[in-house]
Amino acid sequence: MAPQAKLSVPTIGNLPHAHRLPVTHREVVRTFSKLSRQSLLSLAQQWLSRKTRDFCRPYLYADQDPDLGDDDAQFDPAHSYEELQEIYKELGLRKGGRKEVVDRMLEGDWRNGISMYQLATAEIQYLLDHPGALRWNAKRLAKIQHSKTRVKDMEVTNDSEHLPRFQAQTFMANLARELSPLMKGHYLIIRIKTMPLTLLRVYIHDSPYGTESSVATTDTHAPDGAKSVFFVWPDGSPFVYVSVATHMGQVVGEEARHLRDIVLHAIPKAFSRPSSRYELQNTNFTARTLQALLTFRGPGKSNAAAGGWSIFADNSFSQNALDFLTAPRPVETGNGASKEEPSSENKAGKGHPKRILVQGETPEVKRRKEIAEGRFGTSAKENDGQGIERFEVRIDDPFPAIFNNGVRQEDAALAQPSKRGRKGRPSLLDRSLEEIAESQRDDTWAPDVRVTFQGSHVFAGIRQLVEQGVIDGEKMPGWMTGEAAVTVGAVKHGRIRTKGSVPGV
Amino acid sequence: MATMEMEDIDNQIRDLRTRISHLQAHRANLTTALLSAPHLPTRLQQRPVSKPIHAKKALKAVQKQQARNVKNIYRACAGVTAYKVKDPDPNAVDGGNILGVRIEVEIDGHFVETYHVLLHRPNPKNKIGLKVHKHTIPTCIPLLQLAKTHLPQMTRDSSTMPEQNITKFAQKLRKELVSWHLRRTAIGQLRVEAGLPAPVSNKEEETKTAPAMGKVLNAFISDDEDESDEDEPRRRGRAGPNKIVDIEADESVREITVTWSNGRAGRMVVTKDGEVERGVVRTVDGTRVTEMERKAVGRIEGLVARLMGN
Repeated sequence: MAPQAKLSVPTIGNLPHAHRLPVTHREVVRTFSKLSRQSLLSLAQQWLSRKTRDFCRPYLYADQDPDLGDDDAQFDPAHSYEELQEIYKELGLRKGGRKEVVDRMLEGDWRNGISMYQLATAEIQYLLDHPGALRWNAKRLAKIQHSKTRVKDMEVTNDSEHLPRFQAQTFMANLARELSPLMKGHYLIIRIKTMPLTLLRVYIHDSPYGTESSVATTDTHAPDGAKSVFFVWPDGSPFVYVSVATHMGQVVGEEARHLRDIVLHAIPKAFSRPSSRYELQNTNFTARTLQALLTFRGPGKSNAAAGGWSIFADNSFSQNALDFLTAPRPVETGNGASKEEPSSENKAGKGHPKRILVQGETPEVKRRKEIAEGRFGTSAKENDGQGIERFEVRIDDPFPAIFNNGVRQEDAALAQPSKRGRKGRPSLLDRSLEEIAESQRDDTWAPDVRVTFQGSHVFAGIRQLVEQGVIDGEKMPGWMTGEAAVTVGAVKHGRIRTKGSVPGV
Repeated sequence: MATMEMEDIDNQIRDLRTRISHLQAHRANLTTALLSAPHLPTRLQQRPVSKPIHAKKALKAVQKQQARNVKNIYRACAGVTAYKVKDPDPNAVDGGNILGVRIEVEIDGHFVETYHVLLHRPNPKNKIGLKVHKHTIPTCIPLLQLAKTHLPQMTRDSSTMPEQNITKFAQKLRKELVSWHLRRTAIGQLRVEAGLPAPVSNKEEETKTAPAMGKVLNAFISDDEDESDEDEPRRRGRAGPNKIVDIEADESVREITVTWSNGRAGRMVVTKDGEVERGVVRTVDGTRVTEMERKAVGRIEGLVARLMGN
């Protein structure tokens, strides 16, 4: 694998891993100032390991220019990689501030510059340390339908393949071919050990030159925008997560956004092969944490079983077929008095979440809790790490002639309706021409009503409101439980419209 | 002195707790066995009792247990079972009636996983037309393709009802799921045969010690790439047989990557029923090892044995 790629580098002109940025470069300063001491030390160890030494050459004693007196240098250069590794190991063993480590790195061991590889791994480290640092948009790689291949695509045979195949090397070569005439970039594809995904970081360098000096110059008049885009491929699924154009919390200028779009458009092309072309489709899902993305657009069982249906995905509903015990589990119930209750609760959860057995005088609170349990299942728990920060719907129902119950209930549901600035960028929720034509044909008037829920974990919040009796849990429409598994959608007749969408995404 | 006593008492309490939970588990087992006894309901009804309310309660417990027994027997023996669900959404189509299909996957005498497909009837014009509503099928199973073939939907302008075959759909889906699980088990077995540690699952300890970043996939660098980490012994140039240092497969186990200690790498394509169709093996400098490629073809279970048996 290695030799071919080595040869192909000059022809397609990517920025190599070893290109260095000066330590005063904006990106370097920004990234290093955010990392914790622990992360910095672990990064240093990785950089000094034998595999990656070539990209992360530190300033060693041998590099010293004998003509120049180095008396004023704050840090003495080390003599070997091993010595440096020892130094960083020692730093890791004792306590101290992170400033000490940053100074040692930027002014001492890597005073000659931070390589592209180092910057990339540092940013990825920050991302892994702070999973909520970026907003992600989930897209789907879908095959472009072609009348000739349609029948064949739907066939399921012994060796048919329905997912796009991801080969890092081929993909990189294709992507670079697409992009190098337009811009230069530095690419790093990396497997993440703690989560089942592959991450690609693209450092966008808006210049026709790929030389080290052109990378190093900081454009003074250019807007201080994000230079990197992240793409994530979860294993064994057709989805791609694209980082929304903010740089760890900073907004990106128009120019940078264009470049980012170019990269985005090149992704499906790099996946395509002759006679199987791919495109990126929107899946109406945006979230901050990768954990939430993996739950709703991941490879596992939970994609199409959100909200109350989550009981089917985890095994709270389906007990093992060889589990014959109907008596309560010994671990769950301590005393014999509650023997009847848990079993009846279990029964209520099985397929009849709405019908909760209320025995005698159950307090109202308990009833509401049970309703919430039935509607939300095991999902929408606080601190489950699967929070969605923003949930937007457009109500597409025609304006009712008489006020009925439904309207009142929706009013109650608006926990924090936010006013949308109508002059902003076009929203995904804006009606398409097709939809406008449809509503005109029906000869009804549907006002443009939009509801936005915002918070750290929207559905956990709604669940709490149900438990406290603010929302009537039984009359609440299903989309408010998050079972549609989208963050943007249009509601008609109380259901999120699923026109043309794939079952369960 | 006091601390000793305290510790002693703590130990006693812990012992008692475990004893209690053991006994409770035992009681639950005995209850199940007792309630499953044949002819129990008839005997309960015939025997005169002082308080009829107790007999009623007992009868209820027996009926519940026997319902469970019947259910489990069907699930265990049939593998695919159907059940009814009520959608709690007040706006659900068709009054919230939902047909659930439950698929059991059993491997080596264990029920390893359960999958559900929930179907509803969204079209008021086509009363028997089923559509996938929710499901828990992983993305590497071609559910959409199967649904399109076996559960075609009525289009807006067509007046005829398309023919649906739910049995065929469930059969094919089960086949896909079981073969996927079998392939995954086979990979685990191959790793054991090659003497590799079990693949890292999402263990907490692992995330703490090892750096979260894994292998860089586009780092084509130094000549001593295959020397790998420092903790791995230097194998290059050492005499003796090559060892397999890694066996990996993608999520759907359709492609296996084998890495040898001398940098040789192979990639094999597997069909769904577990046949290695073809493979490419290259040495570290890029030349193909056709002999190995020929050896790789065959059943997935014997892959390591075939590759190792030089």
